Amino acid sequence: MTTRRELLAALRRAVGEDAVIWRPEDLAAYEYDGTVERSVPHAVVLPSTAGEVQAAVRACLDLGVPITPRGAGTGLSGGAVPLRRGVVISTARMRRVLEVDPLDRVAVVEPGVANLELSRQAARYGLYYPPDPSSQAVCTVGGNVAENAGGPHCLALGVTQNFVLGVEVVTAAGELRQLGGRAPDAFGFDLRGAFIGSEGTLGIATKVVVRLLPVPPAVQTMLAAFPTVGQACEAVSSIIARGVIPSAMEMMDRLCIQAVEARFRVGYPEGAGAVLLVELDGLAEEVQADAARVRAECLERGATAVRVAASDEERALLWLGRKGAIPALGRLAPNYYIVDGVVPRSRLAAVMERVAAVSERSGLRIANVFHAGDGNLHPLILFDEREPGAGERVLATAAEILRVCVDEGGTLSGEHGIGAEKREFMPWLFSEEDLATMERLRDVFGADGGLFNPCKVFPGGTGCGEMGSHAAAVRAAGPDAYV
Amino acid sequence: MASERERGGRWPEPAAAPAAADLARCVHCGLCLTACPTYLVTGLETESPRGRIQMARLIEEGRSQLTPAIQEHWSRCLQCRACEAVCPSGVPYGRIQERARAQVQAQPASGRAALRLRRLVLRQVVARPRVLGAVLAPVGRFGGWRLRGLAERLLPGRLRTMSRQLPSNQGRPFRLEEAAAGNPDGEPVQLFGGCVMRELFGETHRATVRVLARAGARVGAPAGQRCCGALHAHEGDLAFARQLAKANIAAFEGSAGAIVVNSAGCGAAMKEYPELLAGEPGWEERAAAFAARVRDLAEWLAARPRLPRGALGVRTVYQDACHLAHVQGIRREPRALLAAAGCELVETEGADVCCGAAGLYGLVQPGMSAELRRRKAGSFAAARPEVIVTGNPGCHLQYLAAVQEAGVGAEVLHLAEVLDRAWRADGGASG
Repeated sequence: MTTRRELLAALRRAVGEDAVIWRPEDLAAYEYDGTVERSVPHAVVLPSTAGEVQAAVRACLDLGVPITPRGAGTGLSGGAVPLRRGVVISTARMRRVLEVDPLDRVAVVEPGVANLELSRQAARYGLYYPPDPSSQAVCTVGGNVAENAGGPHCLALGVTQNFVLGVEVVTAAGELRQLGGRAPDAFGFDLRGAFIGSEGTLGIATKVVVRLLPVPPAVQTMLAAFPTVGQACEAVSSIIARGVIPSAMEMMDRLCIQAVEARFRVGYPEGAGAVLLVELDGLAEEVQADAARVRAECLERGATAVRVAASDEERALLWLGRKGAIPALGRLAPNYYIVDGVVPRSRLAAVMERVAAVSERSGLRIANVFHAGDGNLHPLILFDEREPGAGERVLATAAEILRVCVDEGGTLSGEHGIGAEKREFMPWLFSEEDLATMERLRDVFGADGGLFNPCKVFPGGTGCGEMGSHAAAVRAAGPDAYV
Repeated sequence: MASERERGGRWPEPAAAPAAADLARCVHCGLCLTACPTYLVTGLETESPRGRIQMARLIEEGRSQLTPAIQEHWSRCLQCRACEAVCPSGVPYGRIQERARAQVQAQPASGRAALRLRRLVLRQVVARPRVLGAVLAPVGRFGGWRLRGLAERLLPGRLRTMSRQLPSNQGRPFRLEEAAAGNPDGEPVQLFGGCVMRELFGETHRATVRVLARAGARVGAPAGQRCCGALHAHEGDLAFARQLAKANIAAFEGSAGAIVVNSAGCGAAMKEYPELLAGEPGWEERAAAFAARVRDLAEWLAARPRLPRGALGVRTVYQDACHLAHVQGIRREPRALLAAAGCELVETEGADVCCGAAGLYGLVQPGMSAELRRRKAGSFAAARPEVIVTGNPGCHLQYLAAVQEAGVGAEVLHLAEVLDRAWRADGGASG
């Protein structure tokens, strides 16, 4: 049993006095991410170098203390919430863009660099970093790697996995390792690929090498309004069936439109049952031709209006509404629970009907915003956590929606990760043997001790079985105790 | 559900605590983080808007007392409200922060004497034109003083910075009577004088009057107007801020036309009088009518159909005052006016990130204030402007020091001074 005092002393030796947070009221600012999960860490450290990350990890391993990596804490699966308390390692002070190479179209960044900051720096060379989570102004590249983050523009180009060439990591065993490199084509075992999307269970990225793309010469953004979500879903399928792959295709339902309009006044038609935001990019001629096809297809499927953004400003405004849509729901209810499921595109309309039925049955309002082109749904369950029993009802409803997704041939997560709550559903998709194979991969990274981001991804999860007894031990040992 | 009795948690004055509904609106999505200057500098959740709201929640939920650490995190907030502008949930952060500070006033954990002194100075000096005038008169004269070079060499760090922050081109203080100008048949406009603006920025006011007159206004300035109360509200002295608000509402009620303000902080505060006076019997409607008349100078000018143009041809950077960009949403208008005046506009990185002046912030948090000023100095050194334009007195003073740190020979001017120059040189052609 380690005392708090010993832990803090070891952390201070590792990263220095001013990089350790320890006061209870300060630690409470690290108890959450963008979800409803909460757990206060025993300490937070903010290393500035890979060496300090390594020292902090080793200090924790020596003392047997759980470690939870954290980027900007904008995640939507509880990934950065320290469920077994212990130490949060924040990358917020590692935010230098180390290199932008316009010839090789590669950038090297520290993990705490914000996604949008990377694109901003690359813009000097006419380049950008395509994966664009809605929180891109804040969320970090390191966090994107951990969650294999997506975003509206991943429809045509792919997610984080497709843009990260290499990662330098401190593994769960406290060792500094290079995974992948900066060459466009990797060879041999793809450990880089294994690390991306491992949700902070295998280690912490300390440097990331990414691929950049040239900013497309022409962009057109259009907004189509539909009477029903079903019609909008059909339009999505038929646009792609006609051979047009927009760079983004995003849908919002009536409730979302209402929330967005109340906050941003972007001019989404308020009476509409659904709006579809479609963006096309490429060469000007090609974009023009595709835009005409998209417009025709939308009108054919029952769109009541199709508006094309006439200026960059109007375009930014249309996107502002989409990117702020989820937190804007905070205007409709004090809390929301975001579900991240994926279904085959062709099943979108059917699934949305079933989600509506779930909402009716549960009596909970559900708003929908989703990356329609990818079939990536984000039903948002609105509730008030102060109402007794609300939490349980919400979790049960979320489970029901995910069950619908899986039944319709889909999966449990498009881009937010499995994190804390969804790990119990992993057996719906993977056999015990499949899961055991994944667990064995953790051994390779030295995560078999179960100290690295415990209680995430895997059902039951290594180390989580003891949570109850762990808490009891802490209580028995008194306030200054630490397990 | 918490009962009414429990509501208020561990607030020293539960009745005046930040509203539970305001706090509940934050869904801790974190989208405010990179808008927050102090988070950008420190990388700490505790120095972020989401963290500061969480601190209020800890008290609201009874999880913590109003500890010295919490007070320090709040005190480090610049109240620039950049977070509010980007918050998708529409959390009224400014209101939460003002009410939180009022709680600190009620139960200061540390620095009680400094807090009392600030409150005293704000009430008895800043809000009283004659006293403020007497205090600032020697300071204003120092601005144009020949021995300034000596001060630069002799004064220690912080005092030197303060001496660098004094404007040297502002002449004598402004008297409200000087506002009477313009075309007798023109659109009536009432100038708001303010406190520090009148004493230290006489020339800016005179330029504002000339610009308004050139734009076709009949300018006046009702007597009886006082300090806007923004500094008091930001400090948490809401009671006194309300008194000042009422005095100003009454002072302008007999006049006609827009109330034009050339200080971003004052304009923002005055547009929010209805919120400040919410629940005060008899005042809500009067405050609403007052607020509906308030216009920033740039806002008023930009709405005119025909304005003079100019051909200044100077390399210019415009820096957004927080309370203009984030609170009033005015970003495009000043830039458009500068472009029409013939300025060659250069955008700098972080033009809308707080400069660290933030009212009394430079005195309370000199370290953070200086760091933010250094960042501005860095952007000026990179952009090499001839003129730096802003629309708020605090920022203006901060930039005077920043240009010296940057080693660029740029002039710091108010928008009104630039337009005044451009329109004079133009000789009267309209466009």
